[in-house]
Amino acid sequence: MSRFAGRPATAWLRTLAPALSLAAAVLVFYAIPPHPPLTLFDLRLVAVHAMIVGTAAIGMTFIIISAGIDLSVGSAIALVSVAAALVLEDGGGVGAAVVVALATGALCGLYNGLLITGLRLPPFIATLGTLGFYRGAAKWISGSIPVTAPTRGLERWVNPIPDPPWLLVAPGVWLMAALGIGFVLVLRYSVLGQHALAIGSNEATARLCGIRVARTKVAIYVVAGLLTGLAGLMQFARLTQGDPTVAIGLELDIIAAVVIGGGSLSGGQGSIVGTLAGAVLMAYLRNRSTVLGWPNFVEEMIVGHIIIVAVAVDRWRAGRSS
Amino acid sequence: MRGIALGKGRFGLGVVVASLLVAGCGGTESGGAGEPERLRIAVVPKGTSHDFWKSIHAGALRAEEELGNVEVIYRGPEREDNRDQQISLVQNLVSSGVDAIVLAPLDEHALVPSVRLAMQSGIPVVVIDSGLAAEAGTDYVSYVATDNVEGGRIAGRQMGELLEGRGRVLLLRHAEGSESTMRREEGFVEALATFPDIELVDPQRYSGVTTATAQVAAESLLTTHDDVDGIFCANESSTFGMLLALRSRELAGEITFIGFDANESLVAALAEGELAGLVVQNPMGMGYEGVRTAVAHLQGAPVDLRQDTGVRLATRDNMNDPEIAELLTPDLARYLEQ
Repeated sequence: MSRFAGRPATAWLRTLAPALSLAAAVLVFYAIPPHPPLTLFDLRLVAVHAMIVGTAAIGMTFIIISAGIDLSVGSAIALVSVAAALVLEDGGGVGAAVVVALATGALCGLYNGLLITGLRLPPFIATLGTLGFYRGAAKWISGSIPVTAPTRGLERWVNPIPDPPWLLVAPGVWLMAALGIGFVLVLRYSVLGQHALAIGSNEATARLCGIRVARTKVAIYVVAGLLTGLAGLMQFARLTQGDPTVAIGLELDIIAAVVIGGGSLSGGQGSIVGTLAGAVLMAYLRNRSTVLGWPNFVEEMIVGHIIIVAVAVDRWRAGRSS
Repeated sequence: MRGIALGKGRFGLGVVVASLLVAGCGGTESGGAGEPERLRIAVVPKGTSHDFWKSIHAGALRAEEELGNVEVIYRGPEREDNRDQQISLVQNLVSSGVDAIVLAPLDEHALVPSVRLAMQSGIPVVVIDSGLAAEAGTDYVSYVATDNVEGGRIAGRQMGELLEGRGRVLLLRHAEGSESTMRREEGFVEALATFPDIELVDPQRYSGVTTATAQVAAESLLTTHDDVDGIFCANESSTFGMLLALRSRELAGEITFIGFDANESLVAALAEGELAGLVVQNPMGMGYEGVRTAVAHLQGAPVDLRQDTGVRLATRDNMNDPEIAELLTPDLARYLEQ
């Protein structure tokens, strides 16, 4: 089941598939009259637009590989952005804001994990519940009003045009990329990563092999929560305010990125590189739809089918290789 | 669409508690000896979490304070898209026997049966903010709202004058199916068309309902349209999202930008010259006139079927005039936290 279990050639194809489909998308869109060029600025914008979804989707990949799901991530991002804004508004520094953001994200993940393992709730149900809970909490602590706060330099991490410009893309995008590489290694070489894969492939077998399933699951949700925390901080930096209504429905974009990237909702399968490519692909499609002057509904219909096609191709390939 | 920041009302639990206390106190006082019976007027907003509705609440409380013989019951659905909850709410209010209902309908069709039920039960309904697809005067008493088309026209005329009748103007639309903002966009396009040398750039792109989605949409639009001379956005979140996008491109203040509705950040941007103008409505006036109209009707006075609460253009020059300043930063705290 794991993507490492297949023949080397298939595994390579798997790894390269997202990059290939991105390249294909670039070519396809360039072929459409009036052949809008892909400028450096467009690329910078696409990178920033993929940043929040991508960062949160790294954590979601980890969860989905272990056969879990997190529907609460959009609400958690809103809660984190409000919490960070409140710290900064009260005169806290960037350090304090980062700590509070990561801690808030981790706590959200911890609660999800405890509900799933402690109460034996299906992840879908547990996080459906916390989707409402975190959104409500965000509205409560903000008084239901966006919290405008000084960004104290945080906005430089997410500004589409980086300062200095030789960075090419915003520092936040580099951070996402670095975390992506880090988590590829975590998945492949760490005990946590291997146990996540084992649980996602077959939970009963994993338990028989002596993996402490509950503890591992909680750890996975906490780690994903840390990434959610970072995504929430990025969202705050972009808006310069903690908005309790932000990111409604973003969980679906995040899950879509994982699925486009080859993640399987039945667990045991998923790729961080693929996920990030999925996030970039969606941002790219949205950017091109605008540049080509297409109305929103065209874009929505296309993005919807990208998900369908990605999963269908994956199924077809899996069927052939087995 | 929703405007006007409450300012420093952080940890708004205080506001909620305070308003519950206000409502609670009203209830006990009405039982006071020798006092004439108070009219119980229910005010039902579309949601309870936006600043815009807080302004409407404040306006209703202002009417309560001025009229003296009225008790305002403010209750709304938690979420602004929950039509079903609002329908149940109106029906429950009918069965609880309030004297009148002031309603901002979430949907122009879905709420019609409940409103008819109330009227048939002898409870007059005044519609505020958004229209109802029914007959004014028979199905409901009066419609008190902003003339959204006129709001858009004001923005269009101002844009034409600021650009001295020539140039290209970009329109970022708000959301599919949002009636009030579509009217504003319609009015804007109509007024702009009277300037023959102004070209409207309308790529039919929608900002979506939050600031974050508006920011992404605006950034993408500006990659191809950063050479325009003017920009218009028809509500608060799209205006703020566009402002953030302009700032990141260092175009804020370079392009003539007119927005709709106000919040703390937008008022600051207006003062800085990043916005050339903000069209502001009067939600407090809507709450106030809504309650007054209901009371007038109950007391047998004739009321107008359609009442316009007015829209004004706020600019850097007039933003400190008392009249405009009150619309930009209304004194909600006075009514909501007393």
